[in-house]
Amino acid sequence: MNDLTIHPDESLLTAYAAGSLQLSQALCISTHIEHCSKCQQAVQRLNKLGSELMQQLKPSPTSSDLKASLLAQLDNLEDRPEIVTPVRVDNSIPRCLRQFVHSDYKNLAWKRVSTDIHSVELCRDSNGAKVELLRIKPGGAATTHTHMGDEYTVILEGSFSDELGVYSKGDFLLRDASHRHRPVATQDGECICLAVTEGPIQFTGLFSRLLNPFIRRSYA
Amino acid sequence: MVQNKTSSDRLASLQIALQKVAEHRDKAAFEELFDHYAPLIRAYSLAREPAADLVADELAQEVMMRIWLKASSYNVRLANLNTWVFTLARNCRIDYLRRNSRFVSEIDPTEIFNNIEDESPGPLQLVQQNRTGDNIRAGLEKLPTEQSEILRKVYLEGKSHQQTSEELKLPLGTVKSRVRLALKKLEVLVAR
Repeated sequence: MNDLTIHPDESLLTAYAAGSLQLSQALCISTHIEHCSKCQQAVQRLNKLGSELMQQLKPSPTSSDLKASLLAQLDNLEDRPEIVTPVRVDNSIPRCLRQFVHSDYKNLAWKRVSTDIHSVELCRDSNGAKVELLRIKPGGAATTHTHMGDEYTVILEGSFSDELGVYSKGDFLLRDASHRHRPVATQDGECICLAVTEGPIQFTGLFSRLLNPFIRRSYA
Repeated sequence: MVQNKTSSDRLASLQIALQKVAEHRDKAAFEELFDHYAPLIRAYSLAREPAADLVADELAQEVMMRIWLKASSYNVRLANLNTWVFTLARNCRIDYLRRNSRFVSEIDPTEIFNNIEDESPGPLQLVQQNRTGDNIRAGLEKLPTEQSEILRKVYLEGKSHQQTSEELKLPLGTVKSRVRLALKKLEVLVAR
């Protein structure tokens, strides 16, 4: 679990292909595989496995009504055009994030978290997980923190490092509750990442520890 | 082997049927696709919700509609027909669950599972993909029940690894390592 890794592990990829992941986690996997052809190919093989398992199911006969009513609808279906949304969007933004980022990262409603960090919440998942983007200024550091739950991070722009290594665009990181870490953006540019947190973050500095009750409350 | 031969003949004839649907809006060909896939899609839905017959009908209908509408965008070079139908069924099921759950997710799944379709594999990858399919089919038959059972729970019943571990009363680590072992044997997992 604590492996230094920049790819989702096989159990995450399997759950992604099977469709059993929380959508916020799937969003992170999807963002990663747009940049990672190896994981992309692994997912294609995992899809194939899914299709073989499906073919092994004992078919459950359909009623003749179902087929007849569907056949009767087919001609009307043809009239319905595919929904195409013409969006003028920066091509470097992963496709699965374009539902939240309509033009580019700059135009989002960033909020200041600290002198080094801005964040913007994109949405909440059905399990309450928070999906947000973080922007860390060049050389900027996040407050040392641990997590109540898992935190998924995918780097969208720039790079950062923590105690375990250096990460760049497309890299996927999973940090669980046992990690204390302090990500620092590299000097050469701003770092933007997608972050999904399943529970409130626990700050571990002396002063920030006093803040924890408030932060926890904001998750209620 | 005889079994394999018939299933690949079947697949070839279904691919032709799909092509007829795409090019000529051929309803008889569509019926052939319906007769093969709709009962499988129903079974896929029932694997997750055993008593929900109406849900199963709805899913079968929805997926078959998408097959009709998207037939012309299907590209045999990217995925075989069975795999394409599996991903459509999976995506429809995710969508259905999202729309009908008590706590609604604000995330639209459409683009999350669509982004890998437009990467064209090279000829070498195609050969490798076909071989992967054969290996998976042959390998599944030889897999120990304790491993294939878990794969079915995850893929067909839509269980998380955590739920699988609770249901089978196995530690989470054991579930994960059985998945890993199975994927290695099926050559789904290759060294990165």
